[in-house]
Amino acid sequence: MSDAPVVFISGASRGIGAGIARRLADSGYDLWLNYHSAHAEARALQAEIEEKGRRCRLLPFDVADEEAVGAALEPLLAEETPYGFVHNAGITRDTLLPMMSRQDWDRVLATHLTGFFLLGRLFSKAMLGKRKGRIVAVASVSGETGQAGQVNYAAAKGGMIAACKSLAREVARRNILVNVVSPGLIDTEMIKDLPLERILPMVPMGRVGTVEEVAGVVNFLLGPEAGYITGQVIGVNGGLYM
Amino acid sequence: MEDLKEKLKHILIDEIKLQGITPADIKDDMPLFGDGLGLDSLDAVELVVLIQKHFGVQISDMEEGKKAFTSIANLADYIREHQA
Repeated sequence: MSDAPVVFISGASRGIGAGIARRLADSGYDLWLNYHSAHAEARALQAEIEEKGRRCRLLPFDVADEEAVGAALEPLLAEETPYGFVHNAGITRDTLLPMMSRQDWDRVLATHLTGFFLLGRLFSKAMLGKRKGRIVAVASVSGETGQAGQVNYAAAKGGMIAACKSLAREVARRNILVNVVSPGLIDTEMIKDLPLERILPMVPMGRVGTVEEVAGVVNFLLGPEAGYITGQVIGVNGGLYM
Repeated sequence: MEDLKEKLKHILIDEIKLQGITPADIKDDMPLFGDGLGLDSLDAVELVVLIQKHFGVQISDMEEGKKAFTSIANLADYIREHQA
């Protein structure tokens, strides 16, 4: 048994999500890690986190599947209320709008936005009674500026930013803080097919960011020093968008 | 019925954390919101969660909640009607 605060992270098996999990484990949080299908990666990450002496529970489910979300979380929430909820689960289905399938639109909105709705509803309800909590959503610079080929993704991320600001207003007086971290180009699988030689000149810092540079900001927003920050969008983008 | 109302008053004070009042200060017909006990909309959400936890009664939307939450007496009636 452990008295450490628990943080739930969606989409935690790879990329930025896994980086956040490692960073938060180093800070002493116990973790509930959601992921969709990357079982092997998730189990390896769990072993790594337990090695650091933290509790780590794996919760494989599709964040857009209401029944699966409830089945996985409701029994746990009846016993324990996490201190933090990090919504990081994300997918891309990039293509120009005239060529975008209905499925590509629906799927991207479902994971980011409906996922935030379903998870945020459960966690915020549980946090209200505790009179404390932190919610951090991982958005994207695309959700702030728009991006060709990402009408679906930018709409989802922009929607999430607006949803977080609204929720921040709703629950602020219960000491529940809601913020957004908005990464630019980060060195993950998600950017492996992008033409970096053309994109990097647009980044004032001239390089991609690291997963650790995003995870550090999430860690800060969960910590005591971020106690008066809510409804904010913190860019981690090397100056790509100011 | 009296027991149920007493229990609800204790839940309001202990779990919604109403400050500076005792169960005796809460009249059965006192409005829970606004000029009565002064609960706010977030308190209402908490009350929904607590009613489910303590009595197994689900208040599925706030329209229903508004009717049930007009007073302790009405809330007690609501719980008795909906308890299996």
